[in-house]
Amino acid sequence: MRFAQGIRVRCGDPDGLLGLLAEWDRNQATTDVMGYIGTRLLADRDDPGCYLIVAEFAEVDGDLSPAEEAERNNHREETERWVQKLRALVDGEPDWFHYDELYRTGITGNLRTG
Amino acid sequence: MQPEGSNEAHVPIDEAQLIARGTASAVEPLDGITRAQASLLGAVLSALMGRQIDVTRLEPLGPDALATALAARPLQFRHRIVHHMVLGELILRPIPPEVARRVEVYALALGIDDRFVRIARRYAQGAFGLAWLDLHHSGFAEHWERARKDQLRTRVTLEHQLAAGAEDHDLAERWMGFADLAPGTLGRGVWDMYRSRGFGLPGSIGGASAYLAQHDFVHVLADYGTNLQGEFEVFALIGRADPDPKGFAWLTTLLGLFETGYVADAGFFSGDLRERQLDGIEMHLRIADALRRGQSLCERLGTDLLDVDYHAFAGLPVTEVRAELGVDPKGERAVAAGSVGAFDLAGMSRIQQEYAASIDEGVARR
Repeated sequence: MRFAQGIRVRCGDPDGLLGLLAEWDRNQATTDVMGYIGTRLLADRDDPGCYLIVAEFAEVDGDLSPAEEAERNNHREETERWVQKLRALVDGEPDWFHYDELYRTGITGNLRTG
Repeated sequence: MQPEGSNEAHVPIDEAQLIARGTASAVEPLDGITRAQASLLGAVLSALMGRQIDVTRLEPLGPDALATALAARPLQFRHRIVHHMVLGELILRPIPPEVARRVEVYALALGIDDRFVRIARRYAQGAFGLAWLDLHHSGFAEHWERARKDQLRTRVTLEHQLAAGAEDHDLAERWMGFADLAPGTLGRGVWDMYRSRGFGLPGSIGGASAYLAQHDFVHVLADYGTNLQGEFEVFALIGRADPDPKGFAWLTTLLGLFETGYVADAGFFSGDLRERQLDGIEMHLRIADALRRGQSLCERLGTDLLDVDYHAFAGLPVTEVRAELGVDPKGERAVAAGSVGAFDLAGMSRIQQEYAASIDEGVARR
């Protein structure tokens, strides 16, 4: 079971958001394996300028749940620095959501299919 | 040159048995080693160490015991053994997380901090996007920073070397000039290969990057086809010939593209899972033989094959260049398993075959 952290923001600079996420991923890719496994950035068609960042987490060594891995990630210094950059980029305070994944289409174990 | 004791070709049978036991123990899923794992690892042990070992009938060997057994071996040797383990797990689909973690334990016991172990762990975790970023950065980008570029004969600097080539008139002219070389020369062979498949020449719009085009010289020298099986062979050879263990990135990438789907698009190839390439023993034998030839080149040449200045050899007969560089002939088992040459129709993909059939034999396209 995975865990998803949603961050809903209002932002006039979507390229800035893209850059911020790409920079984060580049840095994460070359560090030790942690709970964070990837992000999606979604634009709200009904509310232009509104975006949803969905960060996904999975188990690492089996000793912590994905949600606990996400919590551990929240307390990392680089995460806190990233959140500061995000706050500087967006309008107002981001809204945060936390979801345990219960179902995903076409997934067997950890495998991406389709 | 490689330090003494680095080469798997000179391993005594007792040590080969221990390596096989440790490798199988590292990559075995909870319900037992798979037939494909056993076949591939057996073929690799046979080709690289000359030892016939049935990987399915071995006593387990733990990481510390394996580390003790290989304590006298240099780092590079132990690193290659870890890559055998990674190869054994990368063909699993999905990779069980416990296997990925266990391989890491074995690697650390052997004193190896390897990026491909980490990439396999990311696959097992389902972090495919991060794994590709890691593979691209750790396997390729860092490698290019140190690689020479003058052998490419281009003044165009690409954003990254796996990207499609940019227009470079002088480079395109140089490649066009290969058409005028005598049949049987390396340059003419590469030209014929491009022409028969309709490949865009480096330096032309839509052509391969000058860097990636280097591997096409290896297709001709090593006599491997250009269908997916041939690409597996050529990149297994190139990766193993590279003294830098990062060369393993090539085989890792191709496995992800064409066998497991862990890589969707690498820039130079897009994923293609229509046929499983490594289901049968034939491809295991062919890849193992390519690794053997790469190992031999690594020993003799000690240079990344993509760093070689093939333009300097272009006017020489292929046989002479093979002898100069030290390219071993294919093994009999690989040939019997279907390893065909760069100019065999069977070495082309269906699209390449259709293109070749459409060419008017009387007209040389320039």
